[in-house]
Amino acid sequence: MAGAAETRLVNRDSSEANAAAAGAVGLAALLFALSLAALFEVVTISDPIAGIPVVALLGGVLVLLGGAVVSFGVGSYLGVVETRPSASAGLVAAAAFAAVWLAIGGGVAAEVLNVGGVGSAAAAVAVGGVAFVTAAVLREDVGSTLPAGGVSILTGVAYLTGALGPAWVWELNFEQQASLTAEFVIPVSTLACALLTGWAAAKAYGGFGARGRRMGAYLLIYLNAGSIVGVLFLLLAFTAFKGLPGLFTGAALGPGVGPAVFGISLPVSLPFVTNGVALLNEFQGVLPAIAGTIWLVVGAVLFAVPLGVGAAIFLTEYAERGRFTQIVEVATNGLWSTPSIVFGLFGFAFLVPRFGGNKSLISGMLTLGFMLLPLVLITSREAMLAVPDEYRDASAALGVSKWQTIRSVVVPAALPGVVTGVILGVGRIAGETAPILLTMTGGTFVPGGQTADVIGGFQFTSTPPFVANPELLQATTALPFQLYALITAGVGLGDTVSSPEQFQWATAFVLLLIVLSFYAIGIGARYYFRRKLQYE
Amino acid sequence: MSETTHTTTDGTDSTVGTTTGETDERVREEWRDYSFDAPTKLGVDDLDVYYGDDRALDGVSMEIPEKSVTALIGPSGCGKSTFLRCLNRMNDRVSSARIDGSVTLDGQEIYQDGVNLVELRKRVGMVFQSPNPFPKSIRENVAYGPEKHGDLDTGVLARLLGRSDEERRDELVERCLRDAALWDEVHDRLDDNALGLSGGQQQRLCIARCLSVDPEVILMDEPASALDPIATAKIEDLIAELSEEYTVVIVTHNMQQAARISDQTAVFLTGGELVEYGDTDHVFESPQSERVEDYITGKFG
Repeated sequence: MAGAAETRLVNRDSSEANAAAAGAVGLAALLFALSLAALFEVVTISDPIAGIPVVALLGGVLVLLGGAVVSFGVGSYLGVVETRPSASAGLVAAAAFAAVWLAIGGGVAAEVLNVGGVGSAAAAVAVGGVAFVTAAVLREDVGSTLPAGGVSILTGVAYLTGALGPAWVWELNFEQQASLTAEFVIPVSTLACALLTGWAAAKAYGGFGARGRRMGAYLLIYLNAGSIVGVLFLLLAFTAFKGLPGLFTGAALGPGVGPAVFGISLPVSLPFVTNGVALLNEFQGVLPAIAGTIWLVVGAVLFAVPLGVGAAIFLTEYAERGRFTQIVEVATNGLWSTPSIVFGLFGFAFLVPRFGGNKSLISGMLTLGFMLLPLVLITSREAMLAVPDEYRDASAALGVSKWQTIRSVVVPAALPGVVTGVILGVGRIAGETAPILLTMTGGTFVPGGQTADVIGGFQFTSTPPFVANPELLQATTALPFQLYALITAGVGLGDTVSSPEQFQWATAFVLLLIVLSFYAIGIGARYYFRRKLQYE
Repeated sequence: MSETTHTTTDGTDSTVGTTTGETDERVREEWRDYSFDAPTKLGVDDLDVYYGDDRALDGVSMEIPEKSVTALIGPSGCGKSTFLRCLNRMNDRVSSARIDGSVTLDGQEIYQDGVNLVELRKRVGMVFQSPNPFPKSIRENVAYGPEKHGDLDTGVLARLLGRSDEERRDELVERCLRDAALWDEVHDRLDDNALGLSGGQQQRLCIARCLSVDPEVILMDEPASALDPIATAKIEDLIAELSEEYTVVIVTHNMQQAARISDQTAVFLTGGELVEYGDTDHVFESPQSERVEDYITGKFG
């Protein structure tokens, strides 16, 4: 209960007013979610809900909210509701209100009243100025509720009267002939109103003053965090929704329907995952791309992690801090921000000719390995710098050599950080298209027979080089490239795959699943190493 | 033990002290004559240490007798920790440090070419100010030194070949933990992470870890400064016990602690000079130098 204006130890809230304010906050949050959903076209604004058009519904709620907020402010000002407001709503709030009202004033003057250029500008400045003065000069309770509630009421009235309806279009008259449609404007303005009124209602709930400001800030932060999680969830749900039908095309469940693994037929058949693309296939699938993606990531990690961790050990433990380490640091940071197509071109010009002149799995692995290297190096270095010097001192004081100390104290303590770096890096490289486009991939559709079988591909000979693996030297495909190829394939796609759109979405969904499962493996590994270091 | 107490300041520079140059000379002469009964374990002669351009130690000379407790006291920044870290060459790890002078262990110079640092630090162990166990199990912490030195092998290969030293390791762990008065508290959870112990237990674990490589000298850098009074009392008892077998050199801020546990006390004052060194009773009851008396009675420092 930290509050500058609070003097009493226990404050007796008038519970009805409090409940009403809490209700207004909840309603605003609901409206926020609804307008976000409308913005992402989860709900369409032209459809009616229970016979009432969505726009009219939104308008009614906005007027209600605005009225509630304004009456809170006025009630507090008149002393009906017990609050502890500050002298003013503050400069930031005033500036924000001024900006909103400036836009409203200008828009209404120009579009509705058809006032000319200078006139509408003057109207905008006048309206914005009034809002600014209201917020900045009047006491906090009215200063923060009147402008917020006003915006909400005005918008609500516009919706209700049909001035802003589903058919509304604002021609911007720019050279590009751009226009803003109601599909975009209505959700966005509803969103803004929900934020403003929600903030004001949260302040009213906290009784204004320091506590009210804190409540307002909480609301904004929670809505922000919530919408980030919401967008992530939406993305996943959307991809799953679109991708699942394609993924389960031809799926069957029952004894013996699936492919044989070690001589035993699996009871599940999922042709999209277990098939390649072939003319005679009943159902087409992306098995070669899945195998390619997994081998790519495994190869890149196997290449980059030992090199990156080794370099980090050298830089933190052996090299003198100075010009040289600075240059290396700048170079690694620069390498990490290098566009991936540059890596791809490097692989194409440098690696491909050295591995038989054809695009090959190993060229792709190494190219992605080069991309991964700087991040592994940076994060490993950070993790090793964070290992306390006390450990090194303690080890040295026992007469243990530097290398032994690094091996048995520094690296184990840094492992969680290293793993974090690898997770981040894998997330990036698993989805890369440009580098593998130039170094690894063959055609748009890859037959199941071309699935990279790296383990089975090893061949041992009695003459040098003793071991060879033609699978590594073959062009194959990976999910991001497959997706890219499918989207750009255009004509002819329908001849090969029965429903191209389902196929594309299913590919995207499988890619997402694979990247997420790499994440899960990484997070599990990090958790394991952390636990080992902590007392649990 | 000798009855002699002695004071030293840099002969050429007596600007700081309250004693005159003449007295300095007299005290220096007396110091030349002193001797402790026990043979000298560590001899330090005219040791200067610089960090960059800053002088941290100024011509320190002293002889530390074996199997006793020697306390180093003095105000913050007087160089006592620096001095301690010179005794097992831990200052080599500070790249800006420059060290002149001589330190001998059993008469052998440790600042010369060809000194085996591994061997030196095995013989001269160290316990640090804040407890710093490794983030490993209690057993692994104690066995760390011998395992890394190759004295114990409990690796996978050794186990497969049936020549694992697990039994010897467990004996060693038990002996060290008993010597560090920690065994009774942890014997049933040796595989727990050492970071789960309390601060005092962690510090005793660090002492056990230090004992595991059979040192002759144990250097302690304010080992109890981060601990509560009860844990401190335990560490102090432990130090008294250890001094029967080991030569203990301890840096402390706490003068009562120095008076309680040490046989000899050396007082360092600002500027990195050793001002007074001798039997603890003498240093505390009848210090030769006024500056030391002022410090001990709390007038400064």
